[in-house]
Amino acid sequence: MRASTLLSESVAVLGKELTSELRSRVALNAVGLFGLTTLIAVAYQIGPYRIQEQDRPHLLAALLWVILFFAATSGLSRVFVKEEDARTAKTLRLAARPLAVLAGKFLFNLILLSALYAFIVPLYCALMGYSVQGIASLALLLACGAVALSATSTMVAAIIARASGSTTLFAILSVPLVLPLLVMLIQGTRAAAGSTAIAAVLPALRGIVSLGGATLIISVYLFPVVWHD
Amino acid sequence: MTRARVRTLLQWALCVWLVLVILGAFFYAPSALGFKGESARIVFFHVPQAWVAVLAFCVNLVASLRYLRTRDALDDARAAAAARLGLVFSVLATVTGSLFANVMWNSFWNWDPREVSIVILLLIYAAYFALREAVPDEERRASLSAAYAVLAFVTMPFLVFVVPRIYWSLHPDTIIGATGKLKLQMDSRMLQVLLGSLVGFTGLFCWLYTLEVRLARVRLARAGREEA
Amino acid sequence: MSAVSVEFQSVGKRFGNRGVLAAVSGTLQRGRVLVVAGPNGAGKSTLLNILAGLLRPSRGEVVYREGDSPLPRAHWFERLGMAAPDMSVYEELSALENLRFFARLRGLHLDSQAMQGLLEELGLASKEQSRAVGTYSSGMKQRVKLAQAVLHEPAVLLLDEPSSNLDESGHAVVAGLVARFRERAAVAVATNDPREMAWADARIDLAL
Repeated sequence: MRASTLLSESVAVLGKELTSELRSRVALNAVGLFGLTTLIAVAYQIGPYRIQEQDRPHLLAALLWVILFFAATSGLSRVFVKEEDARTAKTLRLAARPLAVLAGKFLFNLILLSALYAFIVPLYCALMGYSVQGIASLALLLACGAVALSATSTMVAAIIARASGSTTLFAILSVPLVLPLLVMLIQGTRAAAGSTAIAAVLPALRGIVSLGGATLIISVYLFPVVWHD
Repeated sequence: MTRARVRTLLQWALCVWLVLVILGAFFYAPSALGFKGESARIVFFHVPQAWVAVLAFCVNLVASLRYLRTRDALDDARAAAAARLGLVFSVLATVTGSLFANVMWNSFWNWDPREVSIVILLLIYAAYFALREAVPDEERRASLSAAYAVLAFVTMPFLVFVVPRIYWSLHPDTIIGATGKLKLQMDSRMLQVLLGSLVGFTGLFCWLYTLEVRLARVRLARAGREEA
Repeated sequence: MSAVSVEFQSVGKRFGNRGVLAAVSGTLQRGRVLVVAGPNGAGKSTLLNILAGLLRPSRGEVVYREGDSPLPRAHWFERLGMAAPDMSVYEELSALENLRFFARLRGLHLDSQAMQGLLEELGLASKEQSRAVGTYSSGMKQRVKLAQAVLHEPAVLLLDEPSSNLDESGHAVVAGLVARFRERAAVAVATNDPREMAWADARIDLAL
């Protein structure tokens, strides 16, 4: 019987991830700079004045999530790829139970995504003149979206790390899985921008929570297989 | 009767069935109201192709789950065979759907949610094979692609049921309505041909799948003899 | 912890059409060091990975026993310590931080003094222990790898070329480590170094 608990191991893995990242800042820089560069390119070319009024709800919501997703893919795969590249994966495999590794790295990706959202979303609203009526709804969407996106990305990152580990393969594998999520997030964001009522975002929110929950549950079954094979 | 004879008979029966379906689609079924010209006849091919694309995905899932339990290389071969056929049929469904869209709405692609759903399925199959190509070790390739197939299956209900409900769709009303109840508003002859086509295409998938699995079995047996 | 023994019967491994390990049998048990010798590419590391449960054998089986009872595979890693050329520690963390992390994962309540003592025993001076492992020489990194392998006093210790990158004093440290663990654990060493082969109480020679 292991002397450690799943919780303590998960916290240890998360702590190690945060410490490593704060020292190297590779994922943070990648994600932050990609997001900022894309945002500046979009804001410069399109800005708040070049979109017709009737197109603003659709386009602004879609552009926001394109920027966020594009930035996220540059950093979310690192969490497992760096273990294989640095040859620490085997050491970790022997020391930690698989679900602790999954939990720690999922939480790390969630924190990374949250930092990205906190950085990009207010800037986007300012630069693109995007006024959001339902801030609470948007915050809820961002939170649930981050959980769902982190769940999918962490599992895909675990798979590609055991394959070639390339960012291209990560994008190829994650895009079809993330598309339905993105569609629901864009629709929800549009609804949140136009209304203060939480009810406006409920259909999208239900879909996002279900998809995120289903992905997390299936990851609990799949991750030990991927991690140990 | 030997298995080979039964197999030959079934193959001929399938061939005849499909010929009848094609003839029925063009000569037996009446024209549909509300559609441009005879464009509605594509439904006898497009719908079964989309159905087989989804069926192949389900077979791929079952074979993948079996592989994760048994670690039998034949289960991996089954999963890959189903995925290959699923890719072909999802391409066919996308092409026939585009042709119909061009006739009806003068545009091959309208970003309709159902169009997007079948393309996402196509992307999942393509990603599945990209993953397999990226892993040289056979056992690892089998377990990683099985894991991806199971993970991808989680998105299926959202593609097929949730996303189209969120968005208004250009797509003609489906047989199963938004409430989940069957909405059979087709002319009876059209319905006969459609159901016949569904059976025919399912049979076609089963035949091709069986051929692929038999070939895989032979290859594995030969590899086993070489190892011994 | 009771003594753990490892039995392997006709264990072999193929990657596709390429055979990397022919059928090998043997036992690891407390009180004797099993040396797995052979030229490069003979399958020494592959055998150790199979014994560790990190790789599935294409044929044969590996059984861990604690006393007389077979141990389920899920419990192998808790009793296992391993150091190998393709296993590293975290280079952004210091040696002490690495050990602290692995101690937390294994539920060990070790204070800094105990971990410092272990690192010193393995030849890593205390003034080096708080520097990031990425700044270490290869010999120093090897000492940290060995430290994480023995931190939890494993019942099974697998060492793949343990003296690689180490100087004479380092080799002596590893020899001392193996001698210490000979009486407490089932030890296997994969090597083609004659000095390490001299530790053998039992030996398996693999051929290409």
